[in-house]
Amino acid sequence: MEETVSIATPDNVTLEFELAGPGSRFAAYLIDGLLIGLLIIVVVVALIFTPGVVNFFRATFDEGPGWLMSWNIALLIFFIFLINWGYYVLFEGLRRGSTPGKRKMGIRVLRRDGLPIGFREAALRNLVRAADMLPPPCALLGGLVALFDREGRRLGDMVAGTIVVVEKFAAASDSAAAAAWAARVEQGRSRQALTLPQGIISANQIALIEQFMGRRHALPPARREALAWQIAEPLLSLLGEDREALVKSPDRLGRSERLLLQILDLARGERAKPEPALKQESRPALF
Amino acid sequence: MPSAEDKQQQWSRFFARVQNLLQRGPRSLRKLSGSELTRLIDDYQALTADLARARSLGAPRSTVDQLNRSAVAGHNLLYGSIRRPAVLAESDWFGGFARAVRRHLWAVALSALMFFGSAVATFFAVQFYPALGYDLVADGFLDFDPASAENLHHIPSLARPIASSGIITNNIQVTLMAFGFGLTAGVGTTVLLIFNGVHLGSVAGWMMLHGKEKALWGWIMPHGATELLAICLAGAAGYLLAAAIVAPGRLRRSTALKKIGGDALIIELGCMVMLVIAGLIEGFVSPSGIDYPTRLAVLAASLTLWAVYFAGAGHRGKKASSFPEP
Repeated sequence: MEETVSIATPDNVTLEFELAGPGSRFAAYLIDGLLIGLLIIVVVVALIFTPGVVNFFRATFDEGPGWLMSWNIALLIFFIFLINWGYYVLFEGLRRGSTPGKRKMGIRVLRRDGLPIGFREAALRNLVRAADMLPPPCALLGGLVALFDREGRRLGDMVAGTIVVVEKFAAASDSAAAAAWAARVEQGRSRQALTLPQGIISANQIALIEQFMGRRHALPPARREALAWQIAEPLLSLLGEDREALVKSPDRLGRSERLLLQILDLARGERAKPEPALKQESRPALF
Repeated sequence: MPSAEDKQQQWSRFFARVQNLLQRGPRSLRKLSGSELTRLIDDYQALTADLARARSLGAPRSTVDQLNRSAVAGHNLLYGSIRRPAVLAESDWFGGFARAVRRHLWAVALSALMFFGSAVATFFAVQFYPALGYDLVADGFLDFDPASAENLHHIPSLARPIASSGIITNNIQVTLMAFGFGLTAGVGTTVLLIFNGVHLGSVAGWMMLHGKEKALWGWIMPHGATELLAICLAGAAGYLLAAAIVAPGRLRRSTALKKIGGDALIIELGCMVMLVIAGLIEGFVSPSGIDYPTRLAVLAASLTLWAVYFAGAGHRGKKASSFPEP
């Protein structure tokens, strides 16, 4: 089993999740089992005692109306069944994949695409529990499958398309180091743009040039030339190049690619500079 | 340019806001005004960009974790309510059950073959080798006496709710096992179906042998069609899961399982409803003193009902097969 999974969302964000280990999952299972037992005891007591309570108000002391006892036992059988099978479905479906036990252990069930689970997944992963529990009390099959699966999924997780992950409830860190890093992350944005006397080449444009340079040898010559020209043309004035001369030049591809490389060199030089903002911030504190 | 403190505050503010909205449930987004929503999306995009930068700059684990956690919460909030599929890939439950059964008739046929096949085989085996009866027939049925007041025919009316409840929960438990055991490549489902088939066939054969078949059929008829059909369908749901493991085709096994899961689930849920109906009949109607023709009529009515339902329901609804799986 691996420790983390990365999920790439459609908008190109990579989210990382820490997989829940067998220990915390088993502990959550024990807590939930205990709660199920408690719930059943509450239901049993409530239903067994109602006929007596009814009789108390009728001021008689026989065993109560037979039909009430009969229906109560019928309900009891039904509720015990419902609690046994419905506890997980209900909690996981309603509480975005966490039962009280899972919450206590700081884990929750998640869809493989990173979204919270709904009733569909909750029902699927819990109604096939019979297979994971084989042979009945030992849960050997589910345990072995989870042990060998890369993402620690038991059979029910595979059917439902879910994983169990660690949910951190810790508050955000606010130490000085974290603040410094926040500043660096913020500068990461501005550092990547290239400022020239004639104007600014944005971080996006530089990323585009980098991408093109990486792929250019794999492109058909005509496409490569067209792309190079498309990227370079709007930047010509910033670099002080004469557009007309370049259009007429026989080596238009070579010249525009050289221009793009030149921009990349400039951008890399820019990035290699030390970060002035960090120093500016620390100086007043030092002197 | 915002300072470091601003940035940190911006992150924590976004996290707190998203947590708050998540807590208010899946519909909380709809109550936001247009500008609030735009602001939220802008903040989310800014945050995910910060996350990417933090990773590529090699920020310490705690910073990346903090951003990752906020991004996860934001992602769950913004996409969770939009792309959440209906409970079962289709919203039309009534038609969806019949459609799922029609789509996988092979599984129903296989399940029926295992269940009824073993029942019929046992039935004849008991006819030819009556001694088998002592090994196979469950204790309560060996000295089943239709005339006695203590047999299944005559549940006292006070005990009927208990009997009904016990029967419903027990039967649903059996179908949940038939369903789940599909994950043992169908072995468990097959064992369960044959086991129950043998039980049914041996009892029927034993009664036939001793001339008590009319009493037995009279008892089974009102609820039998619904109950036995439901067990067959639960077996079919198990075989659907089994097929994804045994013959996943070009898919990975876990992918195939996920793909068939929705259909298998709706069949299993449908079985549960059928078993509640069957259990109510078995607890209240079958043991009541209604005469043989009435029992026959209940059987005919339930058979017709299920035939019409499974053949006709859900034809006009949207095609579930074209619904993209999540």
